[in-house]
Amino acid sequence: MPSTTFKIFRYQPDSADPEPYYQDFTVEHGEKLTLLDAILNIQNEQDGTIAVRYSCRSAICGSCACKADGRTVLACMQQVEELKEWSGEDTVQIDPIGNFEPIKDLVVDMTPFWEKVKSVKPYLLADGPPPEKERIVPKEAMQRLVKETNCILCAACYSECNSLAADPDFVGPAALAWGYRFAGDIRDGQHKERAKMYTGKHGVWACTRCQYCNQRCPKGVDPRDAIEKLGAISFREGRGMKDAGGRHAVGFLWSVKTGGKLNEILLAGVTDPVRMSLDVPFSARMLQKGKVPGPLPHRVKNLDQVKKLVKNVKETI
Amino acid sequence: MAKSFAYYPGCIAEFSSKELNATTKALAPMLDIELVPMPSATCCGAGDIAEAKPNLYLALNVRILSEAEEMGHDILTICNVCTMNLRKANKMVREDPRLLEQVNADLVKAGARPYSGGVEVTHLLWYISTEEGLSLLEKQGPRGLNGLRVAPYYGCQLLRPSSVMGFEDPDKPESMERLIRALGGEVADYEAKTKCCGFPIVLAREKVALSESHVALSQARDAGADCMVTPCPLCHLAMDAYQRKAEIQNDTEYNMPVLHLPQLLGLALGLGRDTMLFKKHMVSVEPVLQTVGV
Repeated sequence: MPSTTFKIFRYQPDSADPEPYYQDFTVEHGEKLTLLDAILNIQNEQDGTIAVRYSCRSAICGSCACKADGRTVLACMQQVEELKEWSGEDTVQIDPIGNFEPIKDLVVDMTPFWEKVKSVKPYLLADGPPPEKERIVPKEAMQRLVKETNCILCAACYSECNSLAADPDFVGPAALAWGYRFAGDIRDGQHKERAKMYTGKHGVWACTRCQYCNQRCPKGVDPRDAIEKLGAISFREGRGMKDAGGRHAVGFLWSVKTGGKLNEILLAGVTDPVRMSLDVPFSARMLQKGKVPGPLPHRVKNLDQVKKLVKNVKETI
Repeated sequence: MAKSFAYYPGCIAEFSSKELNATTKALAPMLDIELVPMPSATCCGAGDIAEAKPNLYLALNVRILSEAEEMGHDILTICNVCTMNLRKANKMVREDPRLLEQVNADLVKAGARPYSGGVEVTHLLWYISTEEGLSLLEKQGPRGLNGLRVAPYYGCQLLRPSSVMGFEDPDKPESMERLIRALGGEVADYEAKTKCCGFPIVLAREKVALSESHVALSQARDAGADCMVTPCPLCHLAMDAYQRKAEIQNDTEYNMPVLHLPQLLGLALGLGRDTMLFKKHMVSVEPVLQTVGV
């Protein structure tokens, strides 16, 4: 019978020992054991004071996300033996999810997460009175939203988001995925307002593209892809030039249109002309080191093909 | 016989970080690699075009793949971001024949060659860190790194998402560690080697970006690294060109020389310092050159 030691993060601020520490528990078990069952087994048989959030045990409610050996997982979906195979050890370290304040043991304060989800207005907003009959939606239009609809708000993405670690006000991958789920819905009547709502200082353009959200999501939502789609919607709704992040993309588009390759001078100038012209010491150092390329377009062969693509490719978002 | 690749250096290596392109070109014959230029290849869009005009992103990248297909070679990259964008486009059209048909219709209408899905996209790191790749290094009788303590910095887009990248475990990558050890260096290990450098948003959200690069730079310093090495020129810009700014913002010092991956290989294989254009680095690599004895 396999045996596993679980090194569990303990934090009981109201107890006589309020400092966080790790406590080891050993469990003997069969070949199949989920991480959540292991934690509940320990809670039932060894230490009833361990605090953990869970509900459905079926990867639907999104309550039991935690870190196992540093990687955020949904405890009810994660087999213990797979973790041991991955680490090559018989010990599994369990921590609360990241980018949150711990409340007790594995339970964190999810308030900022829920506030951000609420801030994207995760419900349909009609632009007029409801129709007399139901709204008929073509299958293809709903298929575009399937991935985002699968989000269970477990915060596995939020837990390891590198943007959030550096900018705690970043709206975050889950909330933005929910934003796309409605901004991309043809029944919604507030696309322009949503495009504005999601592209503020801590919105779409604050995503650093670390791809942790796509890597960690247990339901295949791919939040980074949803953020990209929100970017495209904001362009469609005429907000491309409103933020330095959008203008950064414009810099790439103009570069490709005029030469095929990136024109870094154009990119920096379009993204933030004021800062570029004021940041003299940095620009001077870059220039001195030969890191500032010429300002003319870098032209590829068959540029006419590229220009035709830029002109003719139709966006379908 | 030399292995031929369609060479896609990417825009940064061609323009602002010429030292990377120059070193790769000088290194290739030593590794029995022929780099065949791709004169029609555009920018991959770097994730920016994808978040403004997704269909255009796809068309541009499939056009690049098609050029390599016509040349009869797989693509070799030296940039994380180019690698991910090209591989993602490749995966999208390979898995969805209808999508490939639509993209090809756009390409043909623009006078470009349609793509049939026959090209692989490989980063130099992936090619050279396999057993076969390591034997190519071995054949050169490397003079080695003389115990240089190197902090590998992977960044994001060569590792994640693994459904697109898939070369190694994104949480326990080992390719650069294998290379460093094989070349007689020591590995300085640290947690943030797979975290983000912040570069994609450095022009639009500089403060946030510099908080991100601080994590990796400070950890590499605390792990006693003589230098950092990265397979990505964007990470290199964040860690090298913006290092002084990160020091000022975070009120600390790193003094961390940052090498491009081919420069590390070049040092071990005996490429000259002028060939590798170290003078273009913002943080001096002189202490590294002294340790290695160049």
